[in-house]
Amino acid sequence: MTKDIIAFWGYPHPDLINKTKNLYPDAKWVDLDICFNYPPSKFTPDAYCGIIKNIFDNSFYLKERIIKILAGVGKDKCDSGFFAANLLKNEGFDVEMSYFEQTLPFDKLPDVPISKSNLPLKEKIELITANIVEKKDYSHLETSNAAFGFWGVPPNDLNILKLFPDNTHVFGWSRCVEAKNPANIELEMYVEPDVPTVFFAQTFCSKTLLAKYLADKYNGLYIDIDAIPSNSAYAKIEAFLRLR
Amino acid sequence: MNKSKFYIDAGTTWSKILEITPFGERKYSVYPTCEARKFNLEYEKITGHTTDKAAKNYENEVVSLAKGAKIHLENNFVALDLGSRDIKWVKYKNAKFCDMDWNSSCAAATGATIEMLLKFYDVEVESLKYTDEKYPVTCGIFGLEKIMDDVSKGLDPSVAISKFIHGIAYNAYNFTKNPDKICISGGFCENKCFIDSLKKYCEVLPLGRFVLVDGLALQA
Repeated sequence: MTKDIIAFWGYPHPDLINKTKNLYPDAKWVDLDICFNYPPSKFTPDAYCGIIKNIFDNSFYLKERIIKILAGVGKDKCDSGFFAANLLKNEGFDVEMSYFEQTLPFDKLPDVPISKSNLPLKEKIELITANIVEKKDYSHLETSNAAFGFWGVPPNDLNILKLFPDNTHVFGWSRCVEAKNPANIELEMYVEPDVPTVFFAQTFCSKTLLAKYLADKYNGLYIDIDAIPSNSAYAKIEAFLRLR
Repeated sequence: MNKSKFYIDAGTTWSKILEITPFGERKYSVYPTCEARKFNLEYEKITGHTTDKAAKNYENEVVSLAKGAKIHLENNFVALDLGSRDIKWVKYKNAKFCDMDWNSSCAAATGATIEMLLKFYDVEVESLKYTDEKYPVTCGIFGLEKIMDDVSKGLDPSVAISKFIHGIAYNAYNFTKNPDKICISGGFCENKCFIDSLKKYCEVLPLGRFVLVDGLALQA
């Protein structure tokens, strides 16, 4: 089988992305964080972050096609990303580790037009993640008045985002990605205090600590969801959006 | 001619129906859900575990609970609905919704289990009395094991079930994050043993079985 895929997770350093694009101009880029419903690799423990499970499931399913994996392993991702990169290296993958830890001062950060736009929330998150590799200019998007906030990483199942109204603004790591500052903890912890916000993290992810802390501080809704959201998770978000 | 408006909270075991007549009279009734399914009624709004959640007139159970409980109390409170197979609560602070949780699918320590236990051991609910001891029911199945063990050793089944119910009350208190006061919705309002057990931990106000249909009947 032809090797034709450059795989990645997190937000690999832009210099590394550009270098790899030049080396493999015809390669297809695949974000291993995303759930494609490939067969389980059974590599991770049952109780483990769904996103990291996706990384293993996708990597092993696509193994014969993957040229190289660009692996976010620094503060811009998480410890599990670091462990995953090393394990996949041990399993014969060509893994290039990426640390994208440079941060800008808060007042020097670029604008985040997607996060503040009136696009459907699911589309916002999809554009932000797609923009990691295929950079496009979204400065033309108009800013909406935030009715709600969504704080967190792109969820394993994006369908929960359909519950939110279009004038929901994006915060947390997803906003950091749009601002090209995935390790910026100050930006990650920023929310608008008067905007009712859902603080989301994947179950078993260390970002649950941040999400719980911020939800308590800003009187928002803390929610952690494993692979597929339960009816309870949908109901909690729906109730929060209806009742606040 | 004006017709009555109907609202239904169709739970797993029991369906609670509210009829509001053209004269504004409110009539409440309860039927086994398997019977209520046969009624040829057109409902304004529906909620509950057995309803079609994709229907246009469906309302999320937690939203119905929050709305229905708010008409009873406007200030700070926790409203807890303990059903046949699930447990859910909402919290209001300064008359604003602020927190909630919903364990939507584990029936091991909820109403249906108690009904089955009463039938299995042939015990009347009225004979259940508060006991200071409780079985741990974090896992309801382990709690059931305790009942079976103790009954086999000669304990009166009504006492064993009372200990189980005390465990459910303690669980409910912890699930709601240990509030000073809990307003109870659902069939457990009529279970004195449960209410007395919960009173060991906090102030308790039973709201009755029709909180969700009252919430449905409110305008959004």
